[in-house]
Amino acid sequence: MKRLLSILALVISAEASAHHGWSGYDDQRPLRLTGTIEASGYEHPHGFVRLKTADKTWLVVLAPPSRMGNRGLARAELAKGATIAVEGYPKRNDPGELRAERITIGQKTTELR
Amino acid sequence: MNVDVGTAWTLIDESAVAGAMRGSTWLYPVVEVVHIAGFSVLLGSVAMFDLRVLGFGRSVAVRAAGSMLLPWSMMSLFAIVPAGLLLFSAHPNELAVNPVFQLKLLLIGLAGLNALSFHGGVYRTAATWDPSAPALAKVHATASLGLWLGVITCGRFLAYS
Repeated sequence: MKRLLSILALVISAEASAHHGWSGYDDQRPLRLTGTIEASGYEHPHGFVRLKTADKTWLVVLAPPSRMGNRGLARAELAKGATIAVEGYPKRNDPGELRAERITIGQKTTELR
Repeated sequence: MNVDVGTAWTLIDESAVAGAMRGSTWLYPVVEVVHIAGFSVLLGSVAMFDLRVLGFGRSVAVRAAGSMLLPWSMMSLFAIVPAGLLLFSAHPNELAVNPVFQLKLLLIGLAGLNALSFHGGVYRTAATWDPSAPALAKVHATASLGLWLGVITCGRFLAYS
């Protein structure tokens, strides 16, 4: 019951600071990562890439596929082996996950928020 | 055959249905709409009934309110539950270990038990609740409102965490 209450308190406090659904990510610690795509998904509810950087492989959460499509980021651009850069915020409770604010592939930057 | 739980989630994850939920342009949002429309009806009908038990809208008898509203609560489950299972199928491994998802299931279970004990117990005497429902009924109604609000809060967090 105590654990239940603490989770509930967590949910409510996170709700209070909610920021368009980005509350699970620490926007006080913006990061820029560069690496190569190991795997990607252009899928619901959010696209993702597994990004191999110099020190580790990140799970980078992107936008819903409809939004990426509307902003001109095609499925084929998230090709395995492509070198990309992302800017975003690390997940508060998972140091291996980043939610991307924008993604740069070649010369093109796409806003994801 | 002995399939452990993690394997079961992975089987769901690799199923054709899960693949379609993730990959199809329209399926996931359509299923979300069904889930949301369904729980709007569920929460709407449950909340109106709970508020009547708590003493609002006395021009309608409690049992009349119940017989009008509660069938919709039950019917809505036929939209909500299958849609929810489909949404779950898209990312079963992640959701199964997500504490918010676990809390949501727990709250749904408690809300169900609360409703069962209400209908099996104090609601049987509803014909005599004039002008005011007994305290026990009001406890059930308050718990119902709180539990379902908690379920929605968890659901909102699953979608946007």
